[in-house]
Amino acid sequence: MSLAGSTPNRSAVELVDVTAGYWTADGFALRRFHPVLKGVSVTVRRGERVAIVGESGSGKTTLLRVVLGVLQPASGRVVVMGREIYRLPRRLRWTVTSRIGYVPQDPARSLNPRLKVRDIVMEPLERSDLTEREKMERVRDALRMVQLHESVLDYYPAQLSGGMMQRVLIARAVVHEPELLLLDEPTSALDVSIQAQVINLLNSIQRKLGCTMVVVTHDLPVAQYLADRAVLLHRGAVVEDVPFEELVRSPKSELAKLLIRSFSLVTSSANGR
Amino acid sequence: MGYEEPEGVVWAVRSVSLEVEEGEAFCLAGESGCGKSTLGSAIAGILPPHAVTRGELRVGGRLVIDGGRRDFEGVRGRVVTYVPQNPGSSLSPYLTIGEQFYYVLKSTRGLRRGEALAEAREHLRRVELDPSAVLERYPHELSGGMQQRAAIALALSTGARILVADEPTSALDAHLRFQVVELLRRLRREGGLTLIFISHDLLLASALCERGAIMYAGRVVEVGSMRDLMGRPAHPYTRMLVDAIPRLGDRRPPKSYPGEPPRPGEERPGCPFRDRCPSPLSRCAVEEPPSIPLDGGRNVACWLYA
Repeated sequence: MSLAGSTPNRSAVELVDVTAGYWTADGFALRRFHPVLKGVSVTVRRGERVAIVGESGSGKTTLLRVVLGVLQPASGRVVVMGREIYRLPRRLRWTVTSRIGYVPQDPARSLNPRLKVRDIVMEPLERSDLTEREKMERVRDALRMVQLHESVLDYYPAQLSGGMMQRVLIARAVVHEPELLLLDEPTSALDVSIQAQVINLLNSIQRKLGCTMVVVTHDLPVAQYLADRAVLLHRGAVVEDVPFEELVRSPKSELAKLLIRSFSLVTSSANGR
Repeated sequence: MGYEEPEGVVWAVRSVSLEVEEGEAFCLAGESGCGKSTLGSAIAGILPPHAVTRGELRVGGRLVIDGGRRDFEGVRGRVVTYVPQNPGSSLSPYLTIGEQFYYVLKSTRGLRRGEALAEAREHLRRVELDPSAVLERYPHELSGGMQQRAAIALALSTGARILVADEPTSALDAHLRFQVVELLRRLRREGGLTLIFISHDLLLASALCERGAIMYAGRVVEVGSMRDLMGRPAHPYTRMLVDAIPRLGDRRPPKSYPGEPPRPGEERPGCPFRDRCPSPLSRCAVEEPPSIPLDGGRNVACWLYA
């Protein structure tokens, strides 16, 4: 007998013909559905590093919300770590989502200002069977992994720099050793020198944990460092799904051509000086 | 330049000496908290009341900061104008684009509504926006790229010849960034504009500017042509910024250096970059390096060149 919503496979994430979006009130009783993802199918194999690349409003963050189990699609199938997440009763969804680590977009707005770093990083361990001592050890390990000194344990977010906040968010995302790591624009709020540190840090964590990594970004050059495959989203639809080398060598979609041309124009203008 | 805080003055910019020539595109580059926006705000005449100033600043030949005295009357908006980072925040959400032009042109040049709207159409065309599609719209009805173009058009509508653009592209998608850079280049070419471009993106800055200053912890650590800054950076911090530039098609991870910039106001003796510097000298811990002239009009504040 199999568990409800269980699908044995080797994919970490499988979206099949997913349409998802948001409802707005149009007048008194009328509600209107605004689809953001329109019939999206994407498969991410276990251990793979995949980038979801697109412009603002293309549906990147909506896709992450669907995978995180917080936005039920209007139609389509969502399989995360072998389980059809939206076919599970709500009270059981945590059995899947607790295997996911999530780094949200804006470090400054994503940390509870009233909690100390120790409590923020410990949050994902709340439901675990570990003792308090073991939990604290995990928190210390996570901080070491993101190269933060233990002294920040008693800091509040306001006492941290942008780069340190991002490291705390990453520590929180990996403290429970997730099998799937979801990152929403993990470097866009960071300065360039810190951006390089975080890129290298994320790759070393992914190697160490052997987890699947899905990164959402509008920045193609950053995506190429964090992923082996690019899924390009345009207006809620997948327009290209290829390994990075192929994307850069022979882009097929208009979006890929536009992104590569823009970057090349900046580079050639800069070199032309 | 600094700010009055309960614990005393926090100095954001320290002992900076710079000259930007008329018609030049000059970049102020560095990371968060390095003082580039404070310096840009001072030039644009929009420092907040609790700001503290020392030294002298001339804009368009007029002495606007003389020690603690600041006088931007007739300069702010008329000689120098400003485009902020977030296009949405520079436009009033409650006024249509047309109304915003009217209020700006009425206050700076006393134009009547009809005259102001006629001029607004011209300004919008210059930034490649269709006036009939934009004038009657509210900012939230425009895309980010259109908002930024409208903000640039509005800033330049006063006739100011110096534009301070503070990270004008960082809120935009990658392909829109280059469009805004192209627009600023064309406006400079056609209008003889002096541009002060504030950015942490050296690649974008060098696509637009001839010269630039690299700032770190409130100091200018290197000044020179963008070609030199990008091609043969002298200061170890400039080298670090150049190394961190992503290169599409080269999947080797960018070189990363440890450490973070000091927080604004954090002061210690010696060079502020010494903790992150790959080749520090013993004197870096005790003495702050002066600005040392190099070839090609370049200056660098680093003991390695003394």
